[in-house]
Parts: sequence; structure tokens; C-alpha cells
Amino acid sequence: MDNTGTSRLTAIALTFMAVIWVSPFSWLILNAFNPLSTGQLEIPKAFGFDNFGLAVSGNAGRQFFNSIIIAAGTATLSVVVGISAAYPLSRLRIPGRNAFLWTLVLLRMLPSAGVLVPLYFAAQRSGLLNQLGVIIALTILNLPFTLLLLKNFFDTVPIELEEAAYVEGASLLQIVTKIVLPMSRAGIAVVWFFSFTGAWNEFLLPLIFARVQDAFPMSVGLYAAFGQQGAINYGFLTAFSILYAAPAIAVYFLLRRNMNTGFAGVGVKG
Amino acid sequence: MKNQVNPWLTGNLTVLIIGMLPAIVLICALLYFTAWAFAFSFTDLALVGRKSVEWSWVGLENFERLFTRRGFLESLWTTVIFVFFSAIVGQSVLGFLLAATLRGTQSTLRTVVEVCIMLGWLLPDIVAAFLWSATTSQTGLINQLIVVPLGFPPINFINSYALPVVTIANIWKGTAWSYLLFSAALDSVSREVVEAAKVDGATPFQRIWLVQLPIIRPHIATNMLFITIWTFTYFPLIFAMTGGGPGRQTETLAVFLYNQSFSRGNLGFGSAISVAMLLIVGFLSLFYLRLLREPK
Repeated sequence: MDNTGTSRLTAIALTFMAVIWVSPFSWLILNAFNPLSTGQLEIPKAFGFDNFGLAVSGNAGRQFFNSIIIAAGTATLSVVVGISAAYPLSRLRIPGRNAFLWTLVLLRMLPSAGVLVPLYFAAQRSGLLNQLGVIIALTILNLPFTLLLLKNFFDTVPIELEEAAYVEGASLLQIVTKIVLPMSRAGIAVVWFFSFTGAWNEFLLPLIFARVQDAFPMSVGLYAAFGQQGAINYGFLTAFSILYAAPAIAVYFLLRRNMNTGFAGVGVKG
Repeated sequence: MKNQVNPWLTGNLTVLIIGMLPAIVLICALLYFTAWAFAFSFTDLALVGRKSVEWSWVGLENFERLFTRRGFLESLWTTVIFVFFSAIVGQSVLGFLLAATLRGTQSTLRTVVEVCIMLGWLLPDIVAAFLWSATTSQTGLINQLIVVPLGFPPINFINSYALPVVTIANIWKGTAWSYLLFSAALDSVSREVVEAAKVDGATPFQRIWLVQLPIIRPHIATNMLFITIWTFTYFPLIFAMTGGGPGRQTETLAVFLYNQSFSRGNLGFGSAISVAMLLIVGFLSLFYLRLLREPK
């Protein structure tokens, strides 16, 4: 068999695919680094970071922090609430717990635009039409998936280890923090990452919850900037897009090694 | 029975229950909101105007309108096409082929391809929508690089081929998930089994089709379940690219739901649409779960 021949052919095909895959980014990058950008796909005559300067100042800078608060807040709250409920769910024999969790997950298949209206009314009544409200609402919507995934990850931690630790005199808190959490680190990373990017990308909920420009996260800010009448500043828009996309990409690469093991868990347990 | 031998659990039951409380409260809130969404589907509640305050129960009228008025059935068909081609055909098949091919290649190339595919997945929906609008526009990459050099007049893809464009954009965006899942699945197939098939003279195609695919069948069902549900209710990419247009060509159910609820303000009818979507997705999930449970 002509093994090197076929493998070279595969390599060429794969490289070709990778090039196609990243080619749409050309427009984004060419315009972001072009201070005289017109929104066309062209080789820039000038090169500079002016657009990025615009994209971090004033309102745009505040929107970045709003997004960070919403995304990190949602991810952390989801994981903390999720862990403290998923550990008992995994260890105590509560009758019907699996059926219950799957029912919740099924219920969450309701398109989020459907629950938006009751959520909005409740937030309005309790004065939560702000970032805290967005964080709580997103955590509520995340919770079924978070619980199911975390419970599955805790199920894979062998109970014998916990028994051994108990015999050695460890308390519940020590057992959880020293054995269970470190052993399901990959799973927790996956759940945190999903909640983070989900909240970071979330568009509809903050659009309806955030009433003033100061409270806009980047997703809404970007959409609003694009919809504004008059001349669209493509340089600003593309630079802002890159800054908006960067954290989610960075978080992924930080957690990458954990992610791949975590995915195996998602696949096996479903 | 394990409960009796786990004294660190039974001795701390109160602590464990207190730990579960926040989640219980939030889950109750979720159930409460969902119940209201169901209830709204039997009313004529509106976003603004008189009917936003003095709404009344209208029975099954909203559900009758799903079938008697134009819109819902067309949107359902658009959604089916979008889900079938972008998720089931595009993302799954491409993701599996990539996972199977990349296993055998050297690590640098593997990392490069992986990173390229991941970039699409990690990109926020709104940015991805901008990117694809720009790439398929009259002066965009495809026209400048392929259509015009071949001597054709530039094509405004997003107007002329809206549904194929959003479908391709979604394949571009979502393949990474299927790739990661299949990659992890193929790692769980033991090397010995594949080697044994090789020794017995199975071709590479046979090794994939007759050995690896049956073993990872549960993973395939899981993947189908997740991506079908996600794509079925997927909203931001299409909304930001086309808003459902031109005409109604790309108005999937999620966009139809948004347009009815928030552009036209028919919250009652909108809720009926989301209940119908939930039922459809529920049936699909049961189908996939059966596939998952069946013994090999």
C-alpha cells in the first residue's frame, strides 16, 4: 500500500480545509487594522491600531466590563449552586432523581424566547432589571444542564476513596474539597466554560433586561452599533468584534487540556 | 443500600440538604416561569396596548391559528431543512470525517486544523453573522476570489441564496462540537479491536463502517440529540444575518417566534409557537433516546 502517498494527500486536503475555514476572518482582520476602513474587503493602504483605541474607550470599554461581570458571574454562580446540589444528588439515593433531571433538561428545550416574557415580568416586579437579574436569569436557564453534567462527573468518582478518607478521619467538607472536586476538575472546567461562553454570547436576554446604554454588554452594544442609522464605522465595528471574541477564545485555550477529558465524560454519559 | 455504609453522608444530611436549597429555589423558579409560558399560550396577551393589561383566556384559539394561518407550517419546513442539512448532514458527517482522519495524522497538522475549526465555534454568534454577511456580500471574499475571476458578474449571495448561506454558516460554526465529541468517542475504541480487524484484512473503509461506527453508536445518538435540539431552537445567527428574510426564506421557527412575540407583540400566539416547538423537540429527543438505549 502506498501509505506515504495517501497520507500526503490527506495532509493537503486537511490544510486546504483549514485555509477555507479561517478565510472568512480575512475581512475582519483587514478592516480592524485599517484606520481608513470602508467595510470592503481590500488590502489596507495604511496600518494602525486606531480602531482598537476607539473600541476600548468610553461606552465600548464599559460594555466590555459589563460582559465580563455577566459571564464570570453566571459561570461561577452556576458552578457553585450546581456543585452543592449535584454532590448530594449523586451520592444520596433520592428516588426518581434521574427521571427528574432529564425532565428538567427536556423542559429547557423550550426556546428561551418562550420563557423570556414571564422572566421579564418577574424581574420587573422585584427590581432586578439589571446585571444581577441577567446573572440570576441565565443561571436559572443553565441549571438543568449544569446539574446533569456535574452529577454525571461526580458519579465517576469512586466512592471507595471517600470511604478511605472517612476512615482516616476526614470531615465531609474535607472529603468534598480534597477528593471529589479535584477528581472531577475536568468536568467542572467544562461546565464553567460552557456557562461562561453561553453568557458571554447571550444576546436576547440582556437586550430586553438592560434598559440603559451603560448596562449593555458587548453583544447588545455590537448589535446596536451595527443598527445605528448613518455611516457605519466598520473599523470600529471589526476591532470591537475582535475584542469581543477574544476572551471566549482565550478561556478555551486556558482550559483546553481539561476540556478534552471533560468531553469524553459528556459523550459516555450523554 | 449504599446509604447505610456512608456515614459521612448520613451524618451530615442537614448540611447536604442546605447545600441543595439554592438549586431547589432556582429550579422552582424555572418551573414557575415555564408554567406561565404554557399558560400564556391560552391567552391573547400582547406586548403593548390594551391587551397587555386586560388579556383574556381564549382557549385553543392560538393553537388553531398555528395551522389555519400562514406562517407556522412554512417556518416548520424551513427549520426542518435547516436542521437536516446544517446539523445532521453538515456538522455530524463533517465532524466525524475530521475526527477519523485527524487521528492518523501528525500532531502539528492536527493541532492547526483543530484550532481553525474551534475558532468558528468560539466566535460569538453576532460576530459570526457579520463575518458571513461580509464574506458572501457583493464585494465579499467569495465574489472577489472565485466568482469575478471566473468571469461571472458578482452575486449577492445573501439575497439570492439566503437559506444555503445560513446553512453553510451554521456548519462552519458548529462542526467543532461534533468533531470534539467524535474525537473523544474514537479514543474510547480500543486499539486492539481495530488492529485485529486490520490483521483480518479489513479495508480502512470497512474498519470505520463495520468496527468503529457500531462501537460509538451511543455517542452518535448523543451527538444527534444535542445538535438537533440546539439547531432547532437556534436564533442569533440567522436573526443577525437575515432577520428571517428575504421575504420569509430563512424564517425558522425560532425567528418566527421572535417576530410574532416581540415585533408584532402577539405574546399569546408566540407562547403557543414555543409550546409547539417544545412538543416537536420532545418527540425527537424520545426517538434519539430510544436509539441510545437499544442494546448493541
